[in-house]
Amino acid sequence: MATATLSNLPIASVHRRRIESAMAERREVISELDDIDELVRVHGARIRRFVTCSTGDPDLAETITQDTMLRAFKGRESFRGECSLSTWLTGIAINVTRDHLRSGRYKFWKQLKATAVDVHEMASLLPSTSVSPERRILAQERVRELYRVLETLSFNQRTIFLMKFSEEMSVDEISEILGMAVNTVRTHLHRALKAVRSKLGAKR
Amino acid sequence: MTPDISRHLADEALNDVLIGLGSLESGAHLARCPECRSKVEDFRADMTLFNSASIAWSQSRNGRPVETSPHPVAHRIRFAFVSWSAAVAVLLIMAVTLWRHSAVAPPNHVNTLEPQPSDSETQIAQDNELLQQINAAIGSDDDFPIQEYNFRERPHSRLKPQSQ
Repeated sequence: MATATLSNLPIASVHRRRIESAMAERREVISELDDIDELVRVHGARIRRFVTCSTGDPDLAETITQDTMLRAFKGRESFRGECSLSTWLTGIAINVTRDHLRSGRYKFWKQLKATAVDVHEMASLLPSTSVSPERRILAQERVRELYRVLETLSFNQRTIFLMKFSEEMSVDEISEILGMAVNTVRTHLHRALKAVRSKLGAKR
Repeated sequence: MTPDISRHLADEALNDVLIGLGSLESGAHLARCPECRSKVEDFRADMTLFNSASIAWSQSRNGRPVETSPHPVAHRIRFAFVSWSAAVAVLLIMAVTLWRHSAVAPPNHVNTLEPQPSDSETQIAQDNELLQQINAAIGSDDDFPIQEYNFRERPHSRLKPQSQ
């Protein structure tokens, strides 16, 4: 019995090319997932940034980033390519973060050793562009202000805000990853935006 | 008919635009209203700065390499076994020490003055000699020091020196 392949199926060539392109892309992603060092190199910094800003704890963020990469590597067969790899990784990072925040172990260590992000250090790492020193100082101040405002938000508001404006996810993607209704995501975003824009706008 | 641009976008409509859920009317207003447009651009500029700085910060923190242990469950079981074995060993040592201590000590030995095993015969003999010397000194016929002053006890009076 002859097996059906894409080349002998009676479909339009344009459609076939599209499917082949999607399959090639998927193969590329799977090969990226097969190499954990490459996975960390490409996505590690972004996941660490997201978790650090979400939890406010760089040490915890490092642990969560490691766990996320390990979990992604071990569960790479379950990646179906329905979303981008970075969205899939962010979803895993959120689940790992939730696990850590729920555990009593985290609460114990949090009380024992609280670390915080050095926001001055973060602002100082702003890539140097061809702007005057005065404008650069102002830009650093904006970064510090934005981080301080984010700290005042609830965990959900902050996480959703970062997913939207740092990870550049759509409201639908956020809703699916968090298992939240689209309207709830929208409400969180509105509240976070209101806080951020009012506090940043007042200092402009 | 041109839309009235003197009425700026409400905060909610502006937030919808930033979220990516802005209406067509909001888009049309933004195209004509520089003030509302600058609010959107200011926010986006702030976010761009924040994202650049935060990703640079994250890249500067050189993360630990991820260890992909082939048998993490077996590793955990081994670690738990070693930990529990160490704890049991410590408890056993403590129990044996306590048992030996209680076996050496006599029952109800509360402040007894029995000679300790460390007391040697020579030491006991020296102590006895010293005690005998003390007894001899106490039992001598020497006058009691106060008698040198010839005090005599009288009824209802203090001791006074006897007249010479």
